Amino acid sequence: MASLTVLRLRSTDLVLIERQLRVKIAQLPHLFLDAPVLIDLGALAEGAAALAFGDLVGALKSCKLVPVAVANVPDGLRTAVTAAGLGVWRPPTAPGRARGDGDSPEAPPAEASAAESATTVAPPSEAAPAVSAMPALSRSPQSHHGGPMVVTQAVRGGQIVYAQNNDLVVLAPVNSGAQVIADGHVHIYAPLRGRAVAGAQGLAGARIFCQKLEAELVAISGAYIMAEEIPAKMRGKAVQIFLENGECQIAPL
Amino acid sequence: MSKVVVITSGKGGVGKTTTSANIATGIAQQGKKTVAIDFDVGLRNLDLVMGCERRVVYDFVNVIRNEAKLQQALIRDKRVDSLYILPASQTRDKDALDPEGVGRIIEELKQMGFEYIICDSPAGIEKGAQMAMYFADEAIVVTNPEVSSVRDSDRVLGLLAAKTSRAELGGPAIRTHLLLTRYSPVMVKRGEMLSVGDVLELLGIPLLGVIPESKAVLQSSNKGTPAILDETTDVAQAYLDVVFRYLGQERQHRFIEEEKRSFLGRLFG
Repeated sequence: MASLTVLRLRSTDLVLIERQLRVKIAQLPHLFLDAPVLIDLGALAEGAAALAFGDLVGALKSCKLVPVAVANVPDGLRTAVTAAGLGVWRPPTAPGRARGDGDSPEAPPAEASAAESATTVAPPSEAAPAVSAMPALSRSPQSHHGGPMVVTQAVRGGQIVYAQNNDLVVLAPVNSGAQVIADGHVHIYAPLRGRAVAGAQGLAGARIFCQKLEAELVAISGAYIMAEEIPAKMRGKAVQIFLENGECQIAPL
Repeated sequence: MSKVVVITSGKGGVGKTTTSANIATGIAQQGKKTVAIDFDVGLRNLDLVMGCERRVVYDFVNVIRNEAKLQQALIRDKRVDSLYILPASQTRDKDALDPEGVGRIIEELKQMGFEYIICDSPAGIEKGAQMAMYFADEAIVVTNPEVSSVRDSDRVLGLLAAKTSRAELGGPAIRTHLLLTRYSPVMVKRGEMLSVGDVLELLGIPLLGVIPESKAVLQSSNKGTPAILDETTDVAQAYLDVVFRYLGQERQHRFIEEEKRSFLGRLFG
């Protein structure tokens, strides 16, 4: 499946952009390492002209991202974009091309096609949005048509499963060294020995449910608990993990 | 119908080559035409363990590069009629392996009527190991009862599910078997080693067999005679069980519990 990260700019302040990006990347370093990025200037409108485009590309590269193309390029910036070796992204015109699974079916056609299997780099919801989430992400994941992503086989060391804009249901063990990530909830009907991340795009109401907690790390919307911080009485138990006052709480099921 | 079986583990030194030699020998003893391929290009161990190191003229890489014919590189075992070895090259490295070349040779071996093609994987998860598993129909994952070996096996099981021809072409999943080697019930009892149950719970694949820790393995490797050929040892018995189980016979698992030693045995042991 082709997947492209969309970086939707809400500001031309490069310092702010880079700072927020780094915070975002620190939460899921594996996911963003050397990831191809589509830069969307649509939200900047007239402001895009003020963007120091070459410096922006440099900032992204210093974050170990690989900018590949730019969407909604104003005419004035076109030369700068192509000079930087990036493509000019035109949303495909045929509406049938937008795949429905987990993407944003309610977004306007242009958005839907640009977001074709795309994720968006967004700041944690409480931060000032210089870089913002796609509208689709603020909706509750349950409203999606496709239903949650279901994994029936063991997730083994070194594997990463990411349910984008969606819930994740795992029916087999998540072994140590493995990562399961969802923008919505994470359900594991087996032991969790690796890492689990719910609300990866900042959904604070996301929860992790697991039948046997032996995790290396659990995280919700950026807040996390390491293995050694998990209370002994919760280890090996069926639990849920949720966010309360910005901190992860573990409660028996 | 040919079967391509990879013997793999991730971690080194757990007994892949020993297992490849013994299982290939055991299957061939049952009259099935079998070949063992050494994928450890650059190191070359399988021929030593199988005692044919002096008969290596051409190797796997020569055949891949069309410098020799497959028939010229195959070494026929002197003890078991239907057993052949395709040795690794000692002078090249793993970059000499490519999917086209490996695939062509495996296809050729199938055409030659080999029923079992045993691929002895190198340690690690890099190119050599990936080439060894790429065309597999089945995998025997060799694991020692300790945490790092189990973790590496888990990683390899993930690769078997994702980075193989079957996975990429969307075929049926590779059948995986767990072989627990260097097992010592005494150490398990003292809590110094993971038990069979612990490993099975962590890896979640069916158990093909347990091979006890034994000096016979080292001695047979040095002699170049696979342990399975000396049926008096417990290792040979364990590998024979594995072979029969693998070929579809029911065999009860042995060597999991501590041996009951006689009073005299305890006195003089």
